[in-house]
Amino acid sequence: MLSQISYWAATHPQRTAFIHREETLTYAELAEQSDALAVWIAQQYPNDRTPIVVYGHKEKEMLVSFLACVKAGHAYIPVDESLPPERIAKIITNAQARLILSPVTLPQSLCYEGIRVLDSQGSYDGRLTDIIKEYRGRRPDPAWEVGDENNYYIIYTSGSTGDPKGVQITLSCLKSFVNWGREAWSIGENMVFLNQAPFSFDLSVMDVYLALSSGSTIWSVDRSMTLNPRELFYWLKQAPLEVWVSTPSFMEMCLLERSFNREMLPTLKTFLFCGEVLTNESVEKLQARFPEARIFNTYGPTEATVAVTSILVNREVLEKFRPLPVGYCKSDCRIMIADEKGEPVPEGVKGEIIIQGASVSPGYFHNPALTQKSFYLVKDREGTRRAYKTGDVGYVKEGLLFYSGRLDFQVKLHGYRIELEDIEKNLRTLPGVNNAVVVPVHKEGKCQYLAGYLVPAPGWENHQELIKNVRKELARKLPEYMIPRKMLVKEHIPITPNGKADRRALLEELNP
Amino acid sequence: MREKILDILCQVCGSEEIRENPDVELYETGLLDSFGTVQLLVAIEEELHMAIPISEIDREMWATPHKIIKFIEERR
Repeated sequence: MLSQISYWAATHPQRTAFIHREETLTYAELAEQSDALAVWIAQQYPNDRTPIVVYGHKEKEMLVSFLACVKAGHAYIPVDESLPPERIAKIITNAQARLILSPVTLPQSLCYEGIRVLDSQGSYDGRLTDIIKEYRGRRPDPAWEVGDENNYYIIYTSGSTGDPKGVQITLSCLKSFVNWGREAWSIGENMVFLNQAPFSFDLSVMDVYLALSSGSTIWSVDRSMTLNPRELFYWLKQAPLEVWVSTPSFMEMCLLERSFNREMLPTLKTFLFCGEVLTNESVEKLQARFPEARIFNTYGPTEATVAVTSILVNREVLEKFRPLPVGYCKSDCRIMIADEKGEPVPEGVKGEIIIQGASVSPGYFHNPALTQKSFYLVKDREGTRRAYKTGDVGYVKEGLLFYSGRLDFQVKLHGYRIELEDIEKNLRTLPGVNNAVVVPVHKEGKCQYLAGYLVPAPGWENHQELIKNVRKELARKLPEYMIPRKMLVKEHIPITPNGKADRRALLEELNP
Repeated sequence: MREKILDILCQVCGSEEIRENPDVELYETGLLDSFGTVQLLVAIEEELHMAIPISEIDREMWATPHKIIKFIEERR
């Protein structure tokens, strides 16, 4: 991976690696700056491989920092600045990180004893850009780089315990994904990729590493653009995009703009979707706007490195299947559909999707209990390989995988993966909340938003006030997308005969 | 018109708070997010038969129920 990026820096130094608004980064700058920072890291942390937190949003130094970490032999943990400090603190503690790199200003509350910080202010241990300048021209020893079986990045995702869990992805997992993707989606050289997802969401790995390995350009959308569609389209109109990588939700939002079509983006030829259900309706609309483009549906959990299945959704596929399949499995992995006992089921029968092979993560960082619950090793004549129980329900027909839902209380909201119990556990810690249940509200098979039911503590008769307070307090603990849009106060949560919260009854209340 | 828009907003945001406080900051309070905006536009198109291009939406202009009502009334 790193040698491919160095190759592009050596052969095409002036080519653009990254564009965000008016900011650009060439391959030469990316290589030189990440080299410089890697030397500093290696000097400060000799004989150390602890992961490094990289905090920010879409700044070019995010990419520089990612590469600097792995060049110095450390995995990086991408943390988006929209995450509240309390949640970040849990990540730092779990990872036992000793260093935070940031192109923005780090919130004061995250600077504890024993952790060093390079950020944009430089008020802690220095300014990130100063260090990069100071070490300019220095070259790291290639022997420091992360090896195939070392962690390359660790992405934290929602956990049902109320704490985030860190998915470890090794260099060999990442290589396997990138090699497959370049072939599956016919990625050439020097293309322009849309980067919609924040770097803390592994969908971004799809565009970032397909682009960097092929000497291509990453064209970034930021949070403010997603919040202000007017701004988004102002920038999109000027984007020479060729490969679109986003969640289906983001594309559906763009479809609301009538001029979002091949006249607006004449060079756009490939759409790659991942992260949530892609519907027939959306593909039909998209095909009408971009008649010549190839549209791919893909599937995979963070634990199996971005995606492991893919299919080109052409007219034939669109007419033949409803719902759409998520695709064929990559050749170095296999999909097994299992019953409750873990035994394979016959073709066409639904069961839990189990992924085996080169894409599978070694497990959750510093969390053997959760790792043991979902990961295991398969040993047979072909050797030993890792397996991950996804908790997703699906079936296989003619080699094609179909996704049908979840075994547990995980939902995908606009591509973001959320454990409902994570929200509930955090809600229950808030003042005025005695109990809480969160339910997803679906429309056309897709989660539209979350609704939170709150059982008030005595003394909280003013329900509007309670809801207002809960919204404010929850925002300190959870990312914005995990805060239920709808909040309702209820004196009693209905209970099922076996004593659990009756989510079905609550859902029916919302959708009479 | 005003009532219809408030109905739609209450439905999309899942809160009656909007009717009681039409100057509430929708985005700052978390009542509306970018995907809620999308649902709002779809509902306006379906129920009011008005197509508002999403590229015209700016958070500032759409910050409160009152501002949304004003924006829509001006466009009619």
